[in-house]
Amino acid sequence: MFSSIEETSKRLEKEKYITSRAIATTVYLALKLEKPVLVEGPAGVGKTELAKCIASALDIELIRMQCYEGLDEAKALYEWEYAKQLLYTQILKDKLSEITGAEETLAGAVKRLTETEDVFFSEKFLIPRPILKSITKKQKTVLLIDEIDKSDPEFEAFLLEVLSDFQVTIPEIGTFSAIKKPIVILTSNSAREMSDALKRRCLHLYIDYPTLELEQKIVSLKVPESSARLSSQVVETVQRIRTLKLKKEPSISETLDWAKALVMLGYEDLNEKTAIETLNFILKYQKDIELTIEHSREIFIN
Amino acid sequence: MANSTNQSAVNRKIFDFVEVLKDADISISVDEVLSLFQAITEIPLDDKEVFRQTFQTTLIKDYTDIPVFEKCFEEYFSGRGKFFDDINFRELAGLDNLLTPDKIKNLSEVLENFLNSLDESVFAEKSESDILNLLLDELNDSGSSGGTGISIFRTGGRLTASYFSKAADQETQLSEAETAELLNLLGKMMHLKISRRNIGKELKEREDYLLNKFIYQLSPEEIKEMRELINRFGQKLKNRISLRKKKVKRGGLDIKKTIRTNLQYGGVPFKLFYKNKKIDRPQLVVLCDVSRSVNQYSRFMLLLAYTLQSLFSKVRSFAFISNMVEITDLFMEMDPERAINSMFEDTNFTYGWGSNYGRCIDMFIDNHSDALTKKTSVLILGDARNNDNDPGIESFKKISEKSKNLFWLNPEKKHLWDWNDSIASTYGVHCTEMKEVNNFIDLTEFIDKLFLDI
Repeated sequence: MFSSIEETSKRLEKEKYITSRAIATTVYLALKLEKPVLVEGPAGVGKTELAKCIASALDIELIRMQCYEGLDEAKALYEWEYAKQLLYTQILKDKLSEITGAEETLAGAVKRLTETEDVFFSEKFLIPRPILKSITKKQKTVLLIDEIDKSDPEFEAFLLEVLSDFQVTIPEIGTFSAIKKPIVILTSNSAREMSDALKRRCLHLYIDYPTLELEQKIVSLKVPESSARLSSQVVETVQRIRTLKLKKEPSISETLDWAKALVMLGYEDLNEKTAIETLNFILKYQKDIELTIEHSREIFIN
Repeated sequence: MANSTNQSAVNRKIFDFVEVLKDADISISVDEVLSLFQAITEIPLDDKEVFRQTFQTTLIKDYTDIPVFEKCFEEYFSGRGKFFDDINFRELAGLDNLLTPDKIKNLSEVLENFLNSLDESVFAEKSESDILNLLLDELNDSGSSGGTGISIFRTGGRLTASYFSKAADQETQLSEAETAELLNLLGKMMHLKISRRNIGKELKEREDYLLNKFIYQLSPEEIKEMRELINRFGQKLKNRISLRKKKVKRGGLDIKKTIRTNLQYGGVPFKLFYKNKKIDRPQLVVLCDVSRSVNQYSRFMLLLAYTLQSLFSKVRSFAFISNMVEITDLFMEMDPERAINSMFEDTNFTYGWGSNYGRCIDMFIDNHSDALTKKTSVLILGDARNNDNDPGIESFKKISEKSKNLFWLNPEKKHLWDWNDSIASTYGVHCTEMKEVNNFIDLTEFIDKLFLDI
């Protein structure tokens, strides 16, 4: 566990994840209060990465569940292994008739059978899916529920029990409570709104594009081969581009791509000409590129 | 003991601030307040950034509320900084030697303690000057103002103040002018402290005021403010509608998926899958009059329509004055706001003089009738002031026949319809509805309702 906010930030930095004060605070509190975190923000600011880095910083297992439309409880919580159940009833046919053999009435046979435990609906025939897995693990885990906004609204309902009580109830068996409460991170691109019930149970973290200093730190950490001069030019330019009204703003991953590409192409300096030539690394729409070129005087002042 | 009273003062402040947020229309549950209090004990209180994030992470669950939260937080907790900004020191030149920042701080604490000791109802019932008088009475009773080194007395209806300076080790009587200034200062401090409680309410009131104001009466500054508001409001509306829409889909058996999944059970349909009934998202066609009289209004409508774009399966937009031009492509390529701005640079809407509804409607039917299907809702925005041109009623009827429904949003007051060159009711009879909509709240309500009918 992290012992303070400063330590949180340092340990994550060791995993090459630079945190803002806000991110570190929320992560620290989430671990302290044992509450799930709902992370929102534009694409490419490192929401998923955060969960991965927490796991590796704490040196615990990451269980990842990617959400998609149509994801149901059988894929997320648990599933009965029907084929195995069927197979076992066939194999154990003799044994079963032995147990029930002495009884003459049907009711008696059923009674006999139920007296000897509900064998076919026990943990042996249960396939644990990510959520149940993270609950039943003996060690603490990080449970990453990625892109929760892609799932159907009904799916959220299955999550509520896990998020508030860290338990899963299986009607046939009973309730599984977490041995070690997992650290739950949910990410969302805000394609749709989460229900209030879900949000109430989570801490909320909004990760926006990083500040200039932060982004420079990220670039020099992730693209060490780029010179300090080039890095700062790239970051400053991207930050200026973000102030334009674009359809798709360049995110951190695009900044990194750009820096890497420029290094690879052997540029040591980002001037207007090279910038315009390589704009397609960070801008994905032709109109955005045109707009940026239009404003090139304010943007490329290096 | 001192610690626990300090603790309760902090708690009170936190509760106060939660109230401010609630006033600003942010919904906060008891559960969230509880986790805030849990969290507060885990963090160092002297780090402002951490303190702010703790509030935000525990209380603010809707990212569209973050700007509002930030405003409230700044206003509420940076009261002191703001306090010094608001005092014009030159104005208080007479008190220069007496009011060191230390003394101001002391005075501010006395005031704070006094306000905290008052019952909540006092703030609702009494004016600020009444409360100031209460404070003076209290100071009078207790004989001095405690540690401030400044004492204020009321003798025979007149105020006298004196201050005790340690350096000189003597008490100095303040002149009448100085007393008045001191009182003025106290009043200002009082105002800031009391109004802090109302930050949330003020924000909400401002928002309501803007949303309810006639769009064409908004001043340029207000329009700037509105943009931000539209974004926030549009996002909220979108979230609300998309949540509601998904609740109603349920369909028949999905045979393909059922068989495929149940192959593992020997083809026995053990698990059933249902088709999610595809809900036809509505298609929207917006026809906007962009002539001077309703320009601002159309801008807001377009901005809103494109903020909500993902809710519709298709949005096509057209703008006209006396020429009908499709502007859908502009929005495909650009951020809505930029699209609206560049619309006027790139396109020529005018042909001849003034609005010509008839000509434009004819043009629409001739060139763009492929936009209309039985799933299309058509929205027309305009004041129906046709400058005595031919209304093109035949084409208008065609629009009505070919679309699912046809709404006309008219920014003019109802009693002005049909007055002078307006031919509102000529068109009105062929519309599903012609509505008077002239503020933003009504506009969003209309859109909201559009989805209920589907």
